[in-house]
Amino acid sequence: MEFRELPPVKEQLMKCVRCGKCRELCPVFAEIGIESAAPRGHVFMVQMLRDGKVEPSPEVYERLGQCLMCETCSANCPSGIAVHELNAAARAYLSEKNPSRGKDLIFEHFWTKPEMMKHSIKLASLAQRLGLQKLARNVGLTRLLPGDLKDAEKILDNIPLRSARSQLPGYTPAVGTSKYRVGYFLGCGTDFLNPEIAQATVEVLSRNGCEVVIPQGLKCCGLPHMANGKLDVTRQLTVHNIKLFDSLNVDYIITDCGSCSATLSQKNLEFVLAGTPHQAEGQAFAAKVMDLTVFLIDVLDIQMDFETDQKWRVTYHDPCHLVNAQGITEQPRELLRRIPGVELVEMPHAASCCGGSGTYSVTHHQVSMQILDKKMANAISTGAEIIATCCPSCIMQLSFGCKRNDWDAEVVHPVVLLQRAYKKALTTA
Amino acid sequence: MNNLDIKKELVKMLGQDKVLTNDLDLMYYSYDSSFLTKLQPVTPTAVVLPASTAEVQKVVRFAYEHNINIIPRGAGTGETGGCIAVEGGIVFDLSRWREIVEIDVNNMQVVVRPGVIHADLNDELAKYNMFFPPDPGSSKMCTIGGMVANNASGLRAVKYWTTEPYVLGLEVVTPTGDVIITGGQQARCIKNVSGLNLTKLMVGSEGVLGIITQIRLRCFPRPKARGIAMAVFDHLDDAPATVLEVYQAGVLPSGIEILDASAIKAVNDFKPDIKLPDAEAILLFEVDGNPPGVEYDGQVIKEVAERRARQVEWSTDKKRMAELWEGRSITAAAAARVRADGSRIFAGEDISVPISKVAEALRAIRALGDKYGIQVVNYGHIGDGNVHCAPVINPENPEEVEKVEKLVDEIHRLAIDMNGSTTGEHGVGVARRGYAVLEHGPAVEYMKKVKAAFDPKGIMNPGKLF
Repeated sequence: MEFRELPPVKEQLMKCVRCGKCRELCPVFAEIGIESAAPRGHVFMVQMLRDGKVEPSPEVYERLGQCLMCETCSANCPSGIAVHELNAAARAYLSEKNPSRGKDLIFEHFWTKPEMMKHSIKLASLAQRLGLQKLARNVGLTRLLPGDLKDAEKILDNIPLRSARSQLPGYTPAVGTSKYRVGYFLGCGTDFLNPEIAQATVEVLSRNGCEVVIPQGLKCCGLPHMANGKLDVTRQLTVHNIKLFDSLNVDYIITDCGSCSATLSQKNLEFVLAGTPHQAEGQAFAAKVMDLTVFLIDVLDIQMDFETDQKWRVTYHDPCHLVNAQGITEQPRELLRRIPGVELVEMPHAASCCGGSGTYSVTHHQVSMQILDKKMANAISTGAEIIATCCPSCIMQLSFGCKRNDWDAEVVHPVVLLQRAYKKALTTA
Repeated sequence: MNNLDIKKELVKMLGQDKVLTNDLDLMYYSYDSSFLTKLQPVTPTAVVLPASTAEVQKVVRFAYEHNINIIPRGAGTGETGGCIAVEGGIVFDLSRWREIVEIDVNNMQVVVRPGVIHADLNDELAKYNMFFPPDPGSSKMCTIGGMVANNASGLRAVKYWTTEPYVLGLEVVTPTGDVIITGGQQARCIKNVSGLNLTKLMVGSEGVLGIITQIRLRCFPRPKARGIAMAVFDHLDDAPATVLEVYQAGVLPSGIEILDASAIKAVNDFKPDIKLPDAEAILLFEVDGNPPGVEYDGQVIKEVAERRARQVEWSTDKKRMAELWEGRSITAAAAARVRADGSRIFAGEDISVPISKVAEALRAIRALGDKYGIQVVNYGHIGDGNVHCAPVINPENPEEVEKVEKLVDEIHRLAIDMNGSTTGEHGVGVARRGYAVLEHGPAVEYMKKVKAAFDPKGIMNPGKLF
């Protein structure tokens, strides 16, 4: 669909009254402080692009690219504008007008094929282990990542050698009677960076009466592509994944990654699939998608009638794609509260962004770190020993934040804590 | 001096990180929240981001020497084009200058730089049990500098009045590059009638007399309790009548707000959890003070309002109060929700009429909306007669734009005819300068003389006010 015809561009641009509410909510604007970094500034610039008042130049992309797509503005806009959709639409238009071979290579070829991704991450991981970062850099391997490699290396520390998919079966039966047949949307971040989350997810689901299917050939949810001006690739990936799940006959499609569930939500798919013949199947697919914590609390209502001798002081960080994109705040907390041994301590501004946002911490390192430092100060003030959160990108960023602040805390997904609690159970009811 | 040289000189003076020179970056300073800049954004010559009086003074002296226009800007949340370089020039973005210089607890006052955000200031003052009472709907995004320049008020003007009585003194860089302190150079007193009151002159002068670089504000003790009464009416006329009856019963609420049927719809659509009942009009009364007094006032309001209202809810529950008050404060921007393909516009949005004529004004606005076939969402500070009306149109439809301009003109004239004013708190800026003579007559010439005394070269925010 042509840029100007995309629903947000066509319908929402004119709704912005430039009230400026978004200025003070935006984590990036808080650091940069000039109007070109404000969400309403982005809306204005998208309008200028649409009206042909500015050329679709790389400089415009640079301004719009300052946004880390946390959706805080969209969630709070009194006029109901999906600012991030406008931004994504404009990035796609700008990318089309300013093709970049490097970007095409990454987002059209490399990050659309799980095998390619796996091999490259393996290589990067091996290189890290052997201290061969320099070599990797020289042969151009890590150049595939956008931005400054030196920073990427720091953040992408300790990449696991084996992905989750290489360790998990395609089908795991339910323990006891099967209540639901669940498709597991195993996202890239979980798969490659946090395979322990995937293991915990499968184990917890199975233990609580779910058959778990991990489809062969599952591809990325498409968020990195959407954020990097490759909306058409997001569309292709989405259609592929919809068709893949269509044949599996599952009751729910569960993901432990807040970004995946946000990208696959009904609202986002309405945007991604606009103008395609796939809207109806997209909505039917999205209706089944659910965040893991919501599923565990709202659908399964899991109870933990046992005790452990563990004591975990835990603080919870709201991933933007759960809190802003989907309004999910209570279920992850409730899950944590139900885990025996967990003491949940709220941090101030738990819902403010950590500055990670996928590749943003690499492409906009300085701003990302400034945002992170504020987050860490809030987290540290709780005296917690564990930060729980539901997004691999947040986990990566917050783990780096702990290191950066010499804070010996662990960052985990709640489901990993749950799995640990099961292992430590002293008595079962 | 050409634009390129101006930019070069500014960079020399302030350094690259405090000057925006790139054409693309400058475009972002072509708008505020006004309808007129949405239709016709105007890009400035340069933008500076000063963070000290010395830096402001340096640039002003340079501008004065070279006859370059200077335009102060806060968060750009104004509704009149007041911070736009309509005749070209250097925009001073003061919104990054967010220093609270001193909280003088012993003298119940606070000294701030212009970029401090209103809500941030009150959060900080709360630690000392103090507050700065004016409460604009844009509290979370507007700057104190902008509030002073526009004499902003908002939801609590009924009891606490506008920004003006709280401003004890100002530091101002005049258009000739002098730095003056109004309200007494060393003064820390609250009452002060010494000299011509330049503080009062500066407050609400909309940046045409100088650049405000420091503000000394009086603070009040923070009330210990709050309560909100919501009264729901089936007939619009009953709402203003109830307001008068509450006053006559001896109660002065801290705020009295009205939402009409379309505003109610907009709020419910934006925040369904607030669950405002469908009605012709809703009144929100806020009372504050000590707990027994609040409860007493609340009961009086309830009793009085029940004579005319279909339903009255009195709440001191924090969550419910926050919801109701938020419902009102977000109406401004949420008004667009009444029409799927529409946007509310900020034009003709701020008339002020005598409180005895509020009902008549609301009816007249509704009739004007019908005449032009434009939906108008009405809400506002009914307690002091300041009515906000939000025409909702498709701003990309030229026919609707033409019609709404006529509608807005009629609304402004209506206010003047009703012994009111074209603006109660948002200001004149560019948007309402055309009504200056109609409103003020020969006094406008004296306003111009005052400006000329401060600004002999006419470089200070030209094209505004008159």
